[in-house]
Amino acid sequence: MSRFVRWASSAAGLTILATVVVAVVSYLVAGPFTVINAVVTGGMWALLSAGLALVFGVMNIPNFAHGEFFMVGTLVAYFVFTPLQAQLKVAPNPVLAAVAPFAGILAALVVGGLVGFAMEKLVFLQLRKRSRQQWVMNAFLLTVGLSVIMINGVQLIWGTDFKGISRYWDVEPLRLLGVKISVDRIAALGLALVTIAIFWYFLMRTRTGRAIRAVSQDEVGAQMAGIDLNYIQALTLALSGAMAAMAGASLLFMFPSFPTVGLKPLYVAWYVVILVGLGNVAGAIVGGFIVALLQTLTSYFIGVGWEDVVPTALIILLLLFRPSGLFGSEVKGIWEQ
Amino acid sequence: MLEIRNLHAGYTYVQVLWDVSLQVNEGEFVALVGPNGAGKTTLLRTVAGLIAPYQGDILFRGRSIAGLAAHTISNMGISYISESLNLFTGMSVYENLLVGAHTVRDRRAQAQAIEFVYELFPRLQERHSQLAGTLSGGERKMLAIGRGLMARPALMLVDEPSLGLAPMLTADVFRALQTLHQQGVTILLVEQNVNATLRITDRAYVLEHGKIVLTGTSQELLNDAHVKAAFLGV
Repeated sequence: MSRFVRWASSAAGLTILATVVVAVVSYLVAGPFTVINAVVTGGMWALLSAGLALVFGVMNIPNFAHGEFFMVGTLVAYFVFTPLQAQLKVAPNPVLAAVAPFAGILAALVVGGLVGFAMEKLVFLQLRKRSRQQWVMNAFLLTVGLSVIMINGVQLIWGTDFKGISRYWDVEPLRLLGVKISVDRIAALGLALVTIAIFWYFLMRTRTGRAIRAVSQDEVGAQMAGIDLNYIQALTLALSGAMAAMAGASLLFMFPSFPTVGLKPLYVAWYVVILVGLGNVAGAIVGGFIVALLQTLTSYFIGVGWEDVVPTALIILLLLFRPSGLFGSEVKGIWEQ
Repeated sequence: MLEIRNLHAGYTYVQVLWDVSLQVNEGEFVALVGPNGAGKTTLLRTVAGLIAPYQGDILFRGRSIAGLAAHTISNMGISYISESLNLFTGMSVYENLLVGAHTVRDRRAQAQAIEFVYELFPRLQERHSQLAGTLSGGERKMLAIGRGLMARPALMLVDEPSLGLAPMLTADVFRALQTLHQQGVTILLVEQNVNATLRITDRAYVLEHGKIVLTGTSQELLNDAHVKAAFLGV
């Protein structure tokens, strides 16, 4: 009991409790739709933000190309799923219809991971070999450059038109708590929750996950324990890319693929990461849901146009009074390192 | 077991070590003593692979390890316990030890190593699930040494375990090192606490201004006029 009180009166506890209260109130005032919407998008923001926080914590890279993983995810899912969908129109096949969406999302996951791996090997490893001075700033500039190159590369090859699908699963929406909710949304949430659970288990309980955390806490100590930094760093960026691409792929029905589709998710992921404290992975998962709730409530009560204004205003306030973020952070400030 | 030949090393703009040669034989307990800024830590960091040498060679069991990556050297059986300890402060004591056994894939060997460390430092067992960042100074040293032992190293490089410790705790740590030595671990110990160090080690080197100025058995050095004047204050 006293442990619960102590937790509840900490910044993290207060925030989480406040969020739950807000969710319950909005359920009573605005109906279940807002809450369901918040949870579905929240899962996706959590996937994106966890990857962003992990990369910052382990490698000290503020990744402004993170949204491009999302973009790659939408693109891959589109190119894998639409031919299968066309095939289904010609010859209906229940097995293929059930598997096709997963094929698209899985392909996006794999390609996203490969893009992350290539990014580390071709860009950040090369920078690390040459200079570690002003690392955070240089890495930041490189990610911005990468983002520009990837956006324009995709535009050059595949054009600027919207490549979207109306839905993955061609079935009736489910009725839940009195609202209709599409199977696509439920599947997206389910996938996000399962992925986060696996990711968390991997990070906390496996040998390699422990090595990743070790590197984020003390690089020299990790090397002394025989951990290969190059391997861990490539793996971290690959994981982060895979999760972001997966988020993009499972939200393809909401965000059709076009070159700059990654910008909005990038901004949201940064809101979350700054809100909870840079490099805090657990906080980023919780923060994903908090920001999603804020956004849905803002667009319901104030208007869709204000969706980004409220979280941003909140971040400004927070940085004024609590610069290390809501949940504090395990990583030292980047200027101290 | 470890042989350093004419080593020149240092950082980007400052050379610290000048033509240092040193040898540690299997099963020996060797001390490296010297005043502040002599280059003792730099020497250990170079052997551990955290700094690449400018010139000269480092042989471990006859194989050159100069310039290899730190994790490769660690995997070969050299364990470095740094002055700043480099613990994973956000992890529990147990997890710190598990990371120390990163290269030991066999679960049973891991469990044995943990048992061994807990036997050596019963204090760590009491603190089992406590975060490393909340340990006291002495417990941190024990954890760092324990983590270094997890991979069952053949050679341990220990950097100033007495730094910042009360005399009684220092004695505890030294006793633990002696126990390890008796169990067959080869140790190269860097210390400023010259008197106590020379009493427990077999042989010693004296490093001053990046050069080895004296070497001999610890007993000889204890009675050496220069050592007495410079370090022992008698």
